[in-house]
Amino acid sequence: MAGMTVGFATGTDTREEVRTEEKTDLDQPWVVVVWNDPVNLMSYVSYVFQTYFGYSEAKARTLMLEVHEQGRSAVVSGSREKVEQDTVALHSYGLWATFEKAGSE
Amino acid sequence: MAKPFRSTRRGITGALEPGEARLLGALLDDVISMLEPDTAPSEDPLAALVGMSGLDAEATAPDDSAVRRLLPDAVRGDDDEALAFRRLTERSLREQKIGALRGTALLIESSPMTLNDEQARLFAQALNDVRLVLADRLSIETEEDAEHLHDIADSKDVDDVESYLALVYNFVTWLQESLVQAMLKATRLDR
Repeated sequence: MAGMTVGFATGTDTREEVRTEEKTDLDQPWVVVVWNDPVNLMSYVSYVFQTYFGYSEAKARTLMLEVHEQGRSAVVSGSREKVEQDTVALHSYGLWATFEKAGSE
Repeated sequence: MAKPFRSTRRGITGALEPGEARLLGALLDDVISMLEPDTAPSEDPLAALVGMSGLDAEATAPDDSAVRRLLPDAVRGDDDEALAFRRLTERSLREQKIGALRGTALLIESSPMTLNDEQARLFAQALNDVRLVLADRLSIETEEDAEHLHDIADSKDVDDVESYLALVYNFVTWLQESLVQAMLKATRLDR
């Protein structure tokens, strides 16, 4: 697990953008949150992050461990339409995912 | 005992014993019947025309906790929003899952199996859905619950319905883990 620090640059950028601007709902980035559950295999969650989002093995593992250890992880951000689509796709894989406005947590 | 899945040049290969294939087939059928919608798809020609025949204005959050886990709320803390989204998307999600489960039921009719990437993905999705349902029936809610069941790995350990279910759960878990490891290996080789 050591040395896995890649992958959050994009998320951080978009969150700052939200805080500094007063935007309409439509303009605000949204995030997909994946929640921990005791059934989904760590290997399977990594596989889904790699193949569905195209993340590197290292980034997928970092996000998977964040879900596992912190109970949740915002795994991708984007327009409302995109996060809706991604949430349903993750449900088709059996992951426990929701979408919300970036920075709601 | 089934052979673990392996990543080969021809695809991902695996083999189930006949009894294991029958058991898995029955589990896949169970999950399919849980996911089949109660109502027919919308036959509104306008809805079909704009590609929204997946709409289900009557959908509500499922009563069965296992089905609710397969078709979870996409929005947390806002039941109205979650329900509105469910009505837009739940039917097609049910259909996608049923497709993966049926496809997998066909794949396990041959032994050994050779899976391409797409078949392997659907197989892993189907095994995951089977495990989610079994876990609900076994009341696996925490990591400790899951670990507790882990010891039941042999038919000698089975003395009631719950320990039988646990044995089945552990078998499907082993099978999925072996499949996913083979898929991850194949992904690494592709990159």
